[in-house]
Amino acid sequence: MIFETTVEKLITIIENADRVTARNASLPALSTILMIVSGSSLKVRATNLSLGVEFEIPVKKEKDGVIALDGKTLYSFLSTLPKNEKIKIAHNESTLTLTTDHNRTTIKTHPYEDFPTLPSVSGTQIQIPQKEFIRGIKNTYFASAVSDIKPEIASVFMCAEKNTLFFVATDSFRLAEKKETIKKAVEFSPILIPYKNIIEIARILENKTEEITLSINENQIAITIPGIYITSRLTSGSFPDYKQIIPKEFLTEVVVLKQDLLTTLKTANIFSDKFNQITFSITPSKKKFECVSKNSDVGEYSGVIDATLSGDDVSIALNQRYLIECLSFIPQDSITIGLNGGSKAVVIRGVGDSSFTYLLMPMNR
Amino acid sequence: MDTKELWDHCLVEIESEVSKANFSTWFKNTSLVKEDAGTVFVGVPNEFVKDWLSNKFHKLIMRVLRNAWEHTRNVEYMVVKGDPKSHKIEVSSQLKPDFAISQELPLKDLYVNKDDNLNPRYTFDTFIVGPFNELAYAATQAAVARPGKQYNPLFIYGSSGLGKTHLIQAVGNAIKEKYPEKKVYYITQEKFTVDYINSVQSNRGAGNTFKEKYRKYDAIIIDDVQLVGKAEKTQEELFHLFNSYHEAGKQIVFSSDKHPNFIPGLEDRMRTRFAQGMIVDITEPEYESRLAILRSKVQELGLNLPDELMEYIASAIAGNVRELEGSLNAIVLQSQLKGRFPTLLETKNLLKNSIKQKKTASVKEVVKTIADFYNVEEASIYEKTRRKEIVKVRQIVMFILREDFSVSYPLIGQKLGGKDHTTVIHSCLKIKNDMKNDMLIAQELDQIRALFK
Repeated sequence: MIFETTVEKLITIIENADRVTARNASLPALSTILMIVSGSSLKVRATNLSLGVEFEIPVKKEKDGVIALDGKTLYSFLSTLPKNEKIKIAHNESTLTLTTDHNRTTIKTHPYEDFPTLPSVSGTQIQIPQKEFIRGIKNTYFASAVSDIKPEIASVFMCAEKNTLFFVATDSFRLAEKKETIKKAVEFSPILIPYKNIIEIARILENKTEEITLSINENQIAITIPGIYITSRLTSGSFPDYKQIIPKEFLTEVVVLKQDLLTTLKTANIFSDKFNQITFSITPSKKKFECVSKNSDVGEYSGVIDATLSGDDVSIALNQRYLIECLSFIPQDSITIGLNGGSKAVVIRGVGDSSFTYLLMPMNR
Repeated sequence: MDTKELWDHCLVEIESEVSKANFSTWFKNTSLVKEDAGTVFVGVPNEFVKDWLSNKFHKLIMRVLRNAWEHTRNVEYMVVKGDPKSHKIEVSSQLKPDFAISQELPLKDLYVNKDDNLNPRYTFDTFIVGPFNELAYAATQAAVARPGKQYNPLFIYGSSGLGKTHLIQAVGNAIKEKYPEKKVYYITQEKFTVDYINSVQSNRGAGNTFKEKYRKYDAIIIDDVQLVGKAEKTQEELFHLFNSYHEAGKQIVFSSDKHPNFIPGLEDRMRTRFAQGMIVDITEPEYESRLAILRSKVQELGLNLPDELMEYIASAIAGNVRELEGSLNAIVLQSQLKGRFPTLLETKNLLKNSIKQKKTASVKEVVKTIADFYNVEEASIYEKTRRKEIVKVRQIVMFILREDFSVSYPLIGQKLGGKDHTTVIHSCLKIKNDMKNDMLIAQELDQIRALFK
């Protein structure tokens, strides 16, 4: 195969494809990326048998061909080149030759016969805007479980009710829910997308603007936009019925400026113990909201935050890291914290916005 | 046709024809789900494998299947859900202790599947096998391999907290995983009884909905079945349920805290039916198994408990698995309070109430308890009589004194009416041998030992 393109066009898809390849796979083909030149386009494909991606870009072609090679090597090389440089790529026998104005390199290729095909998904097909889809994912996936012990929570849950899309993730200590309203009502059965795959999906689609097409069947999802095809397995099992545990009423409510809280939390973190524990003492009777952290090896800290308080006095221990994590997903300047005593879950939302809900369990003291 | 055997045979053939890497990537976790009028359905873990098998290996699979089973007409591939082995379980060090000390959200149904009552956390993967439960484990494996055929019913008994529920739920989960088309149902005897009573109350005379509800499954698992002894009518219902399952060749699994022979109020027809399949017991775990169980629990919690603490707990808590867990939880809680793991000394203090005191009892007490158990005169044990029933009881007394209370042979002889120490040695050996050959003696000894706890 022989073709010509620019570094800029090539580098993003090579990087994205390489991130998907399987490390330490027993089948060598799975750790490579596949490049196919036919017609007037280049296709780059990679899969780890849980997630698969295929990118397509138009190129100036001289000759068709197929090769497999180590994506990391190619990406590392490309990343050293100026973005707008033209690059000519030619394949002969077991090497790939890349030529630019100033550089010339040859990279070893691998046999491509064992390279898997990507499954196509026939099933429910829906269209949703990219912005809402990506925002829904990014606002929630950080809360899902990292370990695969319970696969159903090491995933992001997605479902639809008429015009509203729900994205939910939990690791059983905290839970994030994001509601996105879209113009066209959609209908599909709820799905669970594995956490590791959703990170890549969000990365790849982040800077796109086109509407996204989802094809969903029982076990698999395919995500398509022009030039990109992504397919992921779905986690089997059902997501816990989370709606019932979100409290609707609170004994104590706090409204506070996000930035004030963030600054105090960061200071408190210097003195928090290795469990990241901080304590909020909220005393509406004295109009005082205090944040305390203590580490026997370092020292102690107590900071008072200006806030509007109402309801009963309460003191609660929370994981500072879990708190800070959710704040960056709240666009509003002030947030509300709803509490029901020191041993019940805390609910955090942006003021006047019910689309994002964050539920956090207290720590044992 | 035994689908598993057929597929295993095919896999061997396939393995010799494709490269090792290809085999382990594409054929691992595949199974033969079913056969329908010549069409063989091959179960695969995900769509990637489905796609590749049907594109690349279809001809090979077809040929191998035809050779092994000449009626093969067609091969289809289907994704089999919920194979936990396909995504490796990794408990990484990333699980910082802060995961353990935060409270969990009260998401109850995260742990139990509503359709079959099975808790997906109870699998064979998380089940620790040791000498104390390997027989029971092997029996369950056989039941999973050929449900309804090999050991039906499978009856597992042992004292509480030894992992019976885990084991029988694992059977359910494994059957579900292996035969996705089979419906499994798990229920505790207590719930079964309540359900029956409700059906009688709400629907006088027409108890058919109850029957239908329970007969639609392909395998049923009943926990704590000893409770049926108390409820006469429920026992009859269970009897009919049992028969319908057994006749249809569907697997039945029971757990109980007693051997069927010792379940009070159990009718003979139930007893013999329980005995019809396989009865296995789970005993208390020995030190190595206890340590292994602790290690796996600690890993599950994502903690880095020092080895010396685990070794101490394993050696100190000799009882059942639940007590082990309780002690571990106590230590975890302590660590949360203090923000560090307790020292060995603190642990000893913490657990001192959970540790069973070393058994002490005077010879007199032992003689009295055992004599009472067999309903013979206490004094006759000390006499020089050779009446058969007394001799047996006396031998058991000697055995218990020696084995459980570590009294020396000469002292036993001296206390029991001036017998020679060789007589005592002979008695102990005899009971030891009898125990192996005579189930009844073994059972009696278990019960006697329970009296000294």
